Amino acid sequence: MKIEDKQKKKKKITVTGVLLYAFLIVLALVYLLPLVWMLSVSLKSNREVLSSPFSPPSVLQLGNYIFAWVNGQLGVATLNSVIVCTSALIISLLIGAMAAFAIARMRLGFLKYMMQYFLIGMMIPVHCVLIPLFVRFSNWHLTNQLIGLIIPYITFSLPMTIFLMTGFFKSMPGEIFEAACIDGCSIYGCFIRIALPLSRVGMFVAGIMTFVGNWNELLLAMVFISDVAKKTLPVTLTYFVGPYATNYVQMFAAIIIAIAPTIIVYSIFSNQIVDGLTTGAVKG
Amino acid sequence: MNRLLEDRKAAFIFIAPAFLLFTLILFVPIIQVIYYSLCNYTGLTKPDFVGLKNYIDLFTSDETMKIALKNSIFFMLFSGVTQQIVGLFLAVLLTNIKAGRNLFKNIYYLPCVLSSAALGLLWAFLFNPKIGINNLLSTFGIQGPNWLFDTKGFIPLPMWVIGCVALWQYVGQNMMLYMAQISGISRDIYEASYIDGASRGQSFRFITLPLIKPMLITTLSLNCIGSLKFFDLIYNMTQGGPNHRTDVLATHLYTQGFKYYKYGYASAISMILLILCLFTTFLISKCIKVETYES
Amino acid sequence: MVKRFVSGFLAAALVLGSLSGCSVSTDTGGGAGSSGATTETTSGSVTATGKEEQITWMFWDDLNATEDLISKGYKQVIDRFNEQYKGKYYCNVVTTNLEEYPTKLNALVTSGNTPDVFICNPGPNLTQYVESGAAADLTDILKNQESQWYGTFTDGIFERITYDGKIMAVPTNFAAACVFYNTDIFKKAGVEVPKTYDELLAACKKIKEAGYTPISCSAGTAWCLSMIAGYLCDREGGPDNLVDVNAGKIEWTSKTFVDAATKLKELSQYFQDTAAGDSNDQATANFYNGDAAMLVQGSWAIAQINGNNPEFEDKCGVFQFPAIEGGSDPNRMIVKTDNLVMSSTTKHKEAALALMKMFTDDTAQKYTAEVAGKIPVTKVSIDYDKAPKQFAYINDILKNVTGTLGFYNESLASVEAGDTFDAAMVDVFLGNAEPQQALQKVQDFYNKNVWKK
Repeated sequence: MKIEDKQKKKKKITVTGVLLYAFLIVLALVYLLPLVWMLSVSLKSNREVLSSPFSPPSVLQLGNYIFAWVNGQLGVATLNSVIVCTSALIISLLIGAMAAFAIARMRLGFLKYMMQYFLIGMMIPVHCVLIPLFVRFSNWHLTNQLIGLIIPYITFSLPMTIFLMTGFFKSMPGEIFEAACIDGCSIYGCFIRIALPLSRVGMFVAGIMTFVGNWNELLLAMVFISDVAKKTLPVTLTYFVGPYATNYVQMFAAIIIAIAPTIIVYSIFSNQIVDGLTTGAVKG
Repeated sequence: MNRLLEDRKAAFIFIAPAFLLFTLILFVPIIQVIYYSLCNYTGLTKPDFVGLKNYIDLFTSDETMKIALKNSIFFMLFSGVTQQIVGLFLAVLLTNIKAGRNLFKNIYYLPCVLSSAALGLLWAFLFNPKIGINNLLSTFGIQGPNWLFDTKGFIPLPMWVIGCVALWQYVGQNMMLYMAQISGISRDIYEASYIDGASRGQSFRFITLPLIKPMLITTLSLNCIGSLKFFDLIYNMTQGGPNHRTDVLATHLYTQGFKYYKYGYASAISMILLILCLFTTFLISKCIKVETYES
Repeated sequence: MVKRFVSGFLAAALVLGSLSGCSVSTDTGGGAGSSGATTETTSGSVTATGKEEQITWMFWDDLNATEDLISKGYKQVIDRFNEQYKGKYYCNVVTTNLEEYPTKLNALVTSGNTPDVFICNPGPNLTQYVESGAAADLTDILKNQESQWYGTFTDGIFERITYDGKIMAVPTNFAAACVFYNTDIFKKAGVEVPKTYDELLAACKKIKEAGYTPISCSAGTAWCLSMIAGYLCDREGGPDNLVDVNAGKIEWTSKTFVDAATKLKELSQYFQDTAAGDSNDQATANFYNGDAAMLVQGSWAIAQINGNNPEFEDKCGVFQFPAIEGGSDPNRMIVKTDNLVMSSTTKHKEAALALMKMFTDDTAQKYTAEVAGKIPVTKVSIDYDKAPKQFAYINDILKNVTGTLGFYNESLASVEAGDTFDAAMVDVFLGNAEPQQALQKVQDFYNKNVWKK
């Protein structure tokens, strides 16, 4: 951050400084070691995991990875997840932002209640509406299709998106809109040309939350999709849980395959991601 | 300008897609769920209207419901308090260091984006009586407790363990939001306070805290609702066991609805959960608002 | 700015796509087969052309990712079916993991999309589909139209899937619960195979003195503990126990159950220290790693044991759960079948039947015994040299078996009743409640939910 005033802080090592960093490093280890441990488990045999969980793998069981990739059909599943989550993300951001714009900036009595209405959605556990929703969707022939997942994902993402975006739009100074208005801009123009571009960071925050939630969603995906070729990543990872004994090592291998590239990308771009979140939230 | 902002047609156009989707996909099923909660319904045969029987049963003869309610409220209070304190603490620490700030921030935020189901599995492994943390402890000659299966006490040990894992996973979000808020506070205010002879502690008390209050409502609501709905971690770590001692409302709902097929009964539980969520949000917004007026 | 935003966004999108959900919970009341060993299965080469009659079969394990030998056998059945009836029938497979199976199946049934054939546990699970009318009555088909097929089945195999004289399902295999033991440890401790409960206690004492864990058991996975409890209840009071308690003739707090629960408590002092939290997989691992002398498990554990520790096959013995002196018939055995249910609304009855027949034909049943180590449901002849060694021991025991019972938790009035029983046994084991108190809770549940009917 540029706010930091470099010349003010003198470089000196103090006891508190050392303690502070020691604490932060220990905490960081608490965060990272479980993940490292998972990596080591994924390279062992099932038997070895149970007998000597912490020692490094005696023989690297790379076969776990091959098995996970081939039999878990991770490639197709990843593609499906990308399709579903990206479409849900784009659509929910768009219609969420539209609704949020009306709620935040327009002056009509009923809009206040709309906000409350949408917020109820944040409080519903998915389990409660699962059966009615499934019956409805199978009547409409929407089950077993990716679109049948995209629609509920959009809906379940809306409350959070609207909640966050309303905050953003409210924080914008009213003068910009007045100025645009005087220039003859319509209300739609205000939204598309002013509100949307100015709320990029807000969309970023809402987008991340939406995407994370949907990407990890298991229950709907499991119940709505039967066709193997249309399953999403979380569903595929559960395949390693057998009816009787769980295939831990190969499941961990599948999880590692799923996160390896992302951890790499994260380490390269993490500052942009985290800054985006930070600056975004300030305005919210 | 006002005319534009009072344009009914435009407002409808803006709000219609979200409204329709929301009503059709979420609200209509909720109405259905309210109806089911008044029925004896297995999900396989037609619902059979029984009035308030499910609700009466819930509160008069369901031992597990009592435990679940107790655990849910404990979990909400525990998460609310610890995530606020630790989140704010980390945020203040990190805004005050220079080197490695982003690195630490990224590391602490990482589990937020990972699935709690997968992490639940990982932690269940680590809190296993033999192969995880206890294995490490035993090399120092310490006999670790039975983390996830101890049943003693009003709030049994597993609930504290799960609370801590939840803290580990989600505290990054509070930290991030607070950091955002704090770094938004103008440097000048602090400078001014230092010139006036304020200590760091005082400036935190009288500048930082009041200015991050709006964020408090957001984070606290998110924490509380999130922890009331909490399912994945508990389900993957203990499945509510042993003997329902770690059941929360969401797991109780799942067991009743999808394991015992008592769908009507489960619907009643979900209505209780919904009411509790609404009440909590209401309480938070009311309490904190009052405070703002006072100061 | 936009560029930066986009790259950041992509990065985020990828990051967030990291770990994904795995609902992991190993089991509910015993399941099919086990994991560990590797057998190659050929993947199906036949694909649907769209001209044939298509049916759906639903199963609780993924046929491609599974390590479970029974599941692999099922995959072969499906492949054979699609090959043999090429152009006529085609079978689509719908799979979930075990945990979400009932959720999904119920959703399908509710929405009127019941799979043509689906797998189902016996007991209250099946009852659910029978009572709601989702399961087709197969009596007429089996006894009249296809009497030759009916004749291939082992006697009495339909007992637990018959409701009011109507056969509601077809079994594909069964598993028997026995005591597996480590012959090496028995030799070192100087113990013989115990025939009675008292001998079992004495043996446990000696084994403990010799420095081994006498019995490996998982109370973390409640049904494992409940299996021992079920045996004790049955050895105390025989088949009447179950029948009468479900019918409301005896109470859960009567002497026979209290004695059984007290014995469970007594026996549990010989479990490994971590039994309270160990999962099923771990308890089994304790046994095949040679730390524990005995393991009470279903025969599906054979493949898991041999698969993880191939040298163990030679020193693994099997005996029938011991008798209780003054108790009931000691030759009764806990068994469990996997069953195929046909949807009552199927439009492809012929195809569904053809599929069910294929599951029980000689090829499939031989595989069940010789490769998967479960017990066939038909009178097929088996090459015992091919099968795991333990399989032959179990078969010897089976020759003397006078009657069978289901898993206790799957034989009670409902799934919830079974769980209540399991939970009570866990409480007894953990010492949270005296046997009397714990059983009173089961009785309370029965008073409220079962007997009032």
